[in-house]
Amino acid sequence: MTYALLITAFVISTCGLVYELIAGTVASYLLGDSVTQFSTVIGVYLFSMGIGSFLSKYIKKNLVLTFIRVELLVGAVGGSSAALLFLLFNQVESFRVLLYCIVAVIGILIGLEIPLLMRILKERLDFTELVSKVFTFDYVGALIASLLFPLVLVPHLGLVRSSFLFGLLNTMVAVWTIRLFKSELPWLSLLYSFAIAVAGVLVCGFVFSEQLTSWAESTAYPDPIILSTSTPYQRILITNSGKDIRLFLNGNLQFSSRDEYRYHEALVHPVTAAMHSLHNVLVLGGGDGMAVRELLKYPSIKSIVLVDLDRKMTNMFKEQALLSRLNNRSLSASRVSIITDDAFVWLRRCTQRFDLAIVDFPDPSNFSLGKLYSQTFYKTLKTVLNRDGAVVVQSTSPYYAKNSYWCVVDTLKSAGFQTLPYHAYVPSFGDWGYVIGTLSTFTPASQYPPGLRYVNSATFAQMLTFAPDMLPTTHVVNRLNNQALVHLFESEWGEYAEAH
Amino acid sequence: MPKRIDRSTFLKGAIGCAAAVVSAEISYRWLRQPEPIPGQLRGPSVALGHRLRDGELADIPVESEPLRSTVVIVGGGIAGLSAAWWLDKQGCSDYVLLELEDEVGGNSCSGANSISKYPWGAHYVPLANSESRYVHMLFEELRIIQGHNSSGLPVYNELYLCHEPQERLFKDGAFQEGMVPRRGLQGEDKKQIARFFEIIKSFRQATGADGKPAFAIPLDLSSGDEQWIQLDNLSFSQWLQDNKFDAKPLFWYLNYCCRDDYGSTIERVSAWAGLHYFAGRRGVAANAELNSVVTWPEGNGFLVEKLKEQANGRVIASAAVTKIETVDGGAVITYFDSKTNRQHVVNSKYVIFATPRFLAPHIIAGYSAEAAHHPCYAPWMVANIIIKHIPASGTVSLCWDNVSYTSKSLGYVVANHQDITTREGEKVVTYYYPLSDEDPVAARRRLLSMSGHKWSEFIVEDLTSMHPGIDSEILSIEFCPWGHGMVSPTVGFIWGQGRSSMKKNYGNIFFANSDMSGMSNFEEAQYQGITAASNVLEQLTTT
Repeated sequence: MTYALLITAFVISTCGLVYELIAGTVASYLLGDSVTQFSTVIGVYLFSMGIGSFLSKYIKKNLVLTFIRVELLVGAVGGSSAALLFLLFNQVESFRVLLYCIVAVIGILIGLEIPLLMRILKERLDFTELVSKVFTFDYVGALIASLLFPLVLVPHLGLVRSSFLFGLLNTMVAVWTIRLFKSELPWLSLLYSFAIAVAGVLVCGFVFSEQLTSWAESTAYPDPIILSTSTPYQRILITNSGKDIRLFLNGNLQFSSRDEYRYHEALVHPVTAAMHSLHNVLVLGGGDGMAVRELLKYPSIKSIVLVDLDRKMTNMFKEQALLSRLNNRSLSASRVSIITDDAFVWLRRCTQRFDLAIVDFPDPSNFSLGKLYSQTFYKTLKTVLNRDGAVVVQSTSPYYAKNSYWCVVDTLKSAGFQTLPYHAYVPSFGDWGYVIGTLSTFTPASQYPPGLRYVNSATFAQMLTFAPDMLPTTHVVNRLNNQALVHLFESEWGEYAEAH
Repeated sequence: MPKRIDRSTFLKGAIGCAAAVVSAEISYRWLRQPEPIPGQLRGPSVALGHRLRDGELADIPVESEPLRSTVVIVGGGIAGLSAAWWLDKQGCSDYVLLELEDEVGGNSCSGANSISKYPWGAHYVPLANSESRYVHMLFEELRIIQGHNSSGLPVYNELYLCHEPQERLFKDGAFQEGMVPRRGLQGEDKKQIARFFEIIKSFRQATGADGKPAFAIPLDLSSGDEQWIQLDNLSFSQWLQDNKFDAKPLFWYLNYCCRDDYGSTIERVSAWAGLHYFAGRRGVAANAELNSVVTWPEGNGFLVEKLKEQANGRVIASAAVTKIETVDGGAVITYFDSKTNRQHVVNSKYVIFATPRFLAPHIIAGYSAEAAHHPCYAPWMVANIIIKHIPASGTVSLCWDNVSYTSKSLGYVVANHQDITTREGEKVVTYYYPLSDEDPVAARRRLLSMSGHKWSEFIVEDLTSMHPGIDSEILSIEFCPWGHGMVSPTVGFIWGQGRSSMKKNYGNIFFANSDMSGMSNFEEAQYQGITAASNVLEQLTTT
């Protein structure tokens, strides 16, 4: 029995250290800055173990029973700790509070274990032997855990499954202890059924860990996900609350069906309605077909060429009933041809000429997208326009990222366009900016197509005024060799993300 | 009394547990042993070169009908191709260019796979200085320079200017932006780095008593003033010591630059050459900062391709020149066609010998006596690696040039950095490693004797120290060992006897190679090529 209990010391110390390492690693994954995460997790954990050891003196009787209860609790909390941390990351206000609470609970319980075990063994060994043996097994267990964790557990099992597995080990220690002391313990069957329940939960967690992690992703979105798919270029995700369909690309909201008409009317009509000659139109980006839907309201347009990176995206919005209803089946219209290609690469090879280009790319949040807002890009775009041609560019928010917005305006101007900046309010986005670039003088339209819900001469006139808090503090042209826009965009939206 | 655990039982137990963990790991690895990374060795025709050196090709019978050409250019690197470009420009189109390899390019040769083109050597050119007349001329012809702004500054094609983000350095466990060390510096380090760049700033504008810039590109246009020339007689490290520099991060940076451009360390490189790297670059543009560079996925292979198009029809590849004899009024060139295994003869009036000079004694009859002044050549290993995904590290994005402070290599350059696609796909990276730790002869032996497998291990380990876990992302590695990778401007070479004797012609043979400048870069190679072509043209008009 002595050996059995010493092996117990070995197992529980292995489990204890593994939980500590899991908490440190999950925190580093989710919060970054691994040095801070590991130091604070280890600190809180060791301190909590001290609290546990301190509290152990208040346990006067039923030592074995308490030990078994502690084991089962460690198994349940420690075993599910990784899953809990991942699942609740998106749910809680302050993730750190949750993290340190879980670490503290596990620490206190682990801190209770060794003193309890030593007192259980007190009758069987003399003091010198007792201290020597218990701590020997304890530290050997720690060594094994520290080797197992990086070499076997993380690479082959992953964090969530490792944590469930070690929870099961703790539960097994509890069951084993129940068996060893069955003659001395009350409520045997109750203890067994409790142990089986804990084990059951942990086994389920271990088996369904994949589903758990994907569910964790879905909790990041408020509405039910009706479609999620990964293409070689992006992760497309669509949610539907019944009244509102939302499209997310790589986690960023692209439109909400409630107010996308505002965004797309403001993007398309101010420039399109003002065109004198309008036959061939180019749309870059905008694979959702919404901008094309607005363009189809002009009978004079003979052809619309849509260039999008991702065939899966355009196919979805062409073929799936729920989505093609949103764009009025615009992508199936005979006037529309769809080209799957990189916009910049395609433009450089393009020999066609267009009267108008609608540029609707994702925000310049990385260096490869930043190239699509560069002076060289706009100069290339100019070469495919007719002499009186025009472009309109979606250009992020002049409120949240005012210098980024004006950088797009300045860059377009530097590429030889006359520019007209304007902005519109789209509730799900906030205040959003656009800029019209023309090769000849621009006169706003006096007439718009019938049936528009947002844009008319009066609203467009309003869109042209910028409040003082939307005016730039620096002027810079975005070039391939400075990527000034990406740097501005990162710092401006980064500030906003930190403040909220 | 409970049973005692004796010491040996305990030790056995502990060792047993540890052994179990380790063997589980080993057997797991063995079970899922990763596919070995496909590696492939390519490179300059070393074997053919050695056959040539050892005179093995001499016995093959010669085709009876000799070719005839006014000028024969031997070697199709940048020097040879530029000589051809200049001959064409001046109206002399009667030349042939003989190239040993199957493709021209020399140190600027390049390759391609389904993902990207990539360089095997030289991969960028800095903005051209105002005195770099020929570079301007070529850049304007190729529309690399698209025009000039109102104040006369050249406007570069921004697709070719190196895109942001350009450089990052892995130091103290994380990446920083830029190559000059900034992480973990002492106050004194920062002061010395600032002081060094202050000196460079003044050297950039400095001129000699002859009115020429102290450091020019091409370097033959530099001032001959003793004040500057004497810097060639001491090592760069000596100059640093004399000027009270001792900050380790500064030394690391300067040593990195010397290894990058000269394949050699600050201890071997002359102070003049070391300072030239910084103070020589004065190129400006209307649309780029000082110190910008132009680059392409295939590196300077882009320029090679354009120059080759120009010389169209007059390039003979796979042609190993075995012998050049000077005769009255010209030269007889014998070459071995490695595709057909036949020898041919060309009779010409002039030869432009544009290979590295160490080959001359093996090819030019009677030349061996001149070999005493030959410079040092640094051996290099260059590898092109396809990587599925380069793991993100911290907040600093993947750059064009990615370097580690602790590595012996120069890090890697992303070949498809200049792509204008938004599709995030595989990367092709070019890995550069000058073997500058030991004497070039010993290093060359090590370079050529190490197996591809060993090199592959070395490179993967080096990349792993920057990017843990990258080994499983590597799809393939291709190597190119360059035995005589580039000339090194060792102490006393640039402004000493050695180099001036290399400039002399040998009968009707004129020489052209960047080794005659003591620096292996595009501007020097082009300048030497054009100078040789001008000398030939001058002879042609006077005779």
